[in-house]
Amino acid sequence: MSRVRLIAVPVAAALVLGAILLLATGTDPLAAYGAIVSGAFGPDGIGDTLAYAVPVAGMATALAIPLRAGMVNLGGEGQLVLGAISALAVGLYVPGPGPVKVILALLAGVVAGAAYAALAAVCENRLGVPLLISTLLLSYPAMSLAGYLVRFPLKDAGSSLPQSPQLSARLPEIDGVTTGIFLVVAVIAVYAVIDARTPAGFETKVTGWAPRFAAYAGIDRPKLTLRLLAASGGTAGLVGAIAVLGFPYRFIDGALITPQYTWIGLLAALLAGASPLGTLLAAVFFAALTSGGFAMERATQVPRELTAVLQAVLIIFLAATSGVFKRKAKRA
Amino acid sequence: MTRPNPDAVSLRGIVKRFPGVLANDHVDLDVGRGEIHALMGENGAGKSTLMSVLYGLHRPDEGTISLHGKEVSFGSPAQAIDAGVGMVQQGFALFGELTVTENVVFGSEPTRRGLLDRKAATARVTELIERHELRLRPGDRVRDLPVGLRQRVEILKLLYRDAGVLILDEPTAVLTPPETERLFGVLRALAAEDRTILLVSHKLQEVLAVSDHVTVLRDGRVSARGRTADQTAAGLAAAMTGREVDLDRVHPAGTPGETVFEARSLTVPGVEGKPLLDDVSLTVCAGEIVGVAGVAGNGQAELSGAITGLLKTGGTIVLNGQSLDGLSVRARRDAGLAHVPEDRAEVGSAPTAGLRENLAVGFHRKRPLVRKGFLRRKAIDDHASAIIEDYDVRASGPAAAMGTLSGGNQQKAIFGRELTHDAPFLLVEQPTRGVDVGAIENIHARLVAHRDAGHAVLLISAELSEILALSDRVLVLFEGRIVAEFTKDEADQHTVGLAMAGGAG
Repeated sequence: MSRVRLIAVPVAAALVLGAILLLATGTDPLAAYGAIVSGAFGPDGIGDTLAYAVPVAGMATALAIPLRAGMVNLGGEGQLVLGAISALAVGLYVPGPGPVKVILALLAGVVAGAAYAALAAVCENRLGVPLLISTLLLSYPAMSLAGYLVRFPLKDAGSSLPQSPQLSARLPEIDGVTTGIFLVVAVIAVYAVIDARTPAGFETKVTGWAPRFAAYAGIDRPKLTLRLLAASGGTAGLVGAIAVLGFPYRFIDGALITPQYTWIGLLAALLAGASPLGTLLAAVFFAALTSGGFAMERATQVPRELTAVLQAVLIIFLAATSGVFKRKAKRA
Repeated sequence: MTRPNPDAVSLRGIVKRFPGVLANDHVDLDVGRGEIHALMGENGAGKSTLMSVLYGLHRPDEGTISLHGKEVSFGSPAQAIDAGVGMVQQGFALFGELTVTENVVFGSEPTRRGLLDRKAATARVTELIERHELRLRPGDRVRDLPVGLRQRVEILKLLYRDAGVLILDEPTAVLTPPETERLFGVLRALAAEDRTILLVSHKLQEVLAVSDHVTVLRDGRVSARGRTADQTAAGLAAAMTGREVDLDRVHPAGTPGETVFEARSLTVPGVEGKPLLDDVSLTVCAGEIVGVAGVAGNGQAELSGAITGLLKTGGTIVLNGQSLDGLSVRARRDAGLAHVPEDRAEVGSAPTAGLRENLAVGFHRKRPLVRKGFLRRKAIDDHASAIIEDYDVRASGPAAAMGTLSGGNQQKAIFGRELTHDAPFLLVEQPTRGVDVGAIENIHARLVAHRDAGHAVLLISAELSEILALSDRVLVLFEGRIVAEFTKDEADQHTVGLAMAGGAG
């Protein structure tokens, strides 16, 4: 099957199934789909789509990096939140001119996320705790720590909500979209080049294709795990830093968790087989579906949850036809 | 011997097509009652397809199957076994945790008032074992049996179902020479009581030794058939490959130089006190092939792991004057180790990735594939093309997925990759397992040429004829220890075979 058909057939199938659901609720499917498309990409909607796409694509890339070697980082939420809270603390307390503070805050986010994800890698390498478990379980204390910090030491005294004061150091916005978008695009570009053109990227792919072959060829898996997890966590931390340095310029407890950036990002990375461009496209597509869903809800009374159904159906069809989840099972 | 009529098995004009392949092209096969009939052919010649048709796994597109003169049609192996046709597959289908009896009766258990009648089962199995002199104990757990005996359990399963026609697919691949001899004894006895044996094999000597008649397939067609007594090894090989093959050529000895590789006291502890590798010391010189003979599972995997660094071991290894102790796999490779592993698909390659990527592995951090830190696409392509051409790897191109190549071509590609390193020391495991006769010749010649170019080669193989054909010295590994050492002149089928079975002396 050609690549185009691999995508086109499941998309068409999902649209047809969605149309049947819409008809069953007495809605004109064309109107609903039209509302999704114009809501996602029309002049009023494109800003929302991009604003949502920045964290989703960022997290998708973060999780794609180890996934390329067959390693799953389930701790994206913890790394994201830790990056955000570290950037916030630097932004609040480190003195200096605004731009310097922004850069230091971004760096702090990257370092915090990278270090925390690396800890999970060390757990696997040294203690034999599978990465799947070490990343996921380390995520909870990180989220709890951030929740504590923002309720007590870093709380906005004038507010009753669990949120920090606003930062004065900010990433500028263009038409409501954070300039952090350029940082995310840059990260994806770097990932794409490393993936396609460097020995390190090659070793990562070999490990993903056949781990025993990689070991035979002398690829040091523990070292690779550590590096990939650090890169992954660093990217997640960067996404967190970008989030607090953009509107509303503060850390609000749960604000980075509720929108499901991490899990939608993980889905995008899984569907694209962690390829850099594919991951980006899938992430933007899911972001568009979500912001389009809000628009559809406003225009047609169809609840936006329908887009979640569409998304789920689409993922199932994509997975079934492309066999992304099948490869391992066939070998066994 | 004269052929009793009618034939026990008669396949007429069998045609079986798979998408893009004509696997069987009007194949006729006649097997008389009480006959041991060998079916030969290279990989992909259509032997397995033909046996699957007879065994009910595939329906033929054309042609008829007759048993004892009566036309039959099987929709499943269950129908075939009901009609008296049974097959012992290459990988055994046994439950390790269950006893011999339980394995044998599984699927058609004797019952009493709806419950398993253990007494009747044991009595029936015991009787079969005694009648056929299979020397099994009904109560033994299959897990604890050596491979040769497990195979007999498979045969016993067929006898329990009263199969008159027994198909055995490459039955000797996992056996020691003495075990092979005993298997042949069992087969002869079964034939003597009028059962019909169909032996699928590519081993010429065995076919000549045990069969009454032989049929050779090539490219889905019968390329030779007749009484085994009228055949020669060379003739059968030519019928299999379609050309003259230099068979069982014992390559002349090399001229060993200085010691390149030295291992001292390699030890791998086992689970219950008995080490898997027990104080193994050996040396390999430049321009020398040292063969390690032994039945699979006697420490070969541990020896290989100890050398490559994939396994933590006791003892020391010196390669090219440099100690490898504590070094990583990569550092060992950098020190001068190249390695053709036993498991082509899981360890030696990435089947889903392209030939190009598979061939680049190991060279991907060195010039000319890398310049200024970046991989060069053109250099990777050239590197792959050069190996594909030099080693005659048949593939649709460098982009073809490794897993789509035939076993022989995968092996040639892996050989090409590892030999291209030009490393002073080459570790080769089972170089021709599952590889066609034609490719075997090619691979053996490559190994000898590599030796003659001054490289040290350690050859680990369960194929005794291969060890004898290539080695300048032969070591025998038995239960984790080196129990015997032979020079090229001393080593022969008998002496080495005896040592492999533990009868060193």
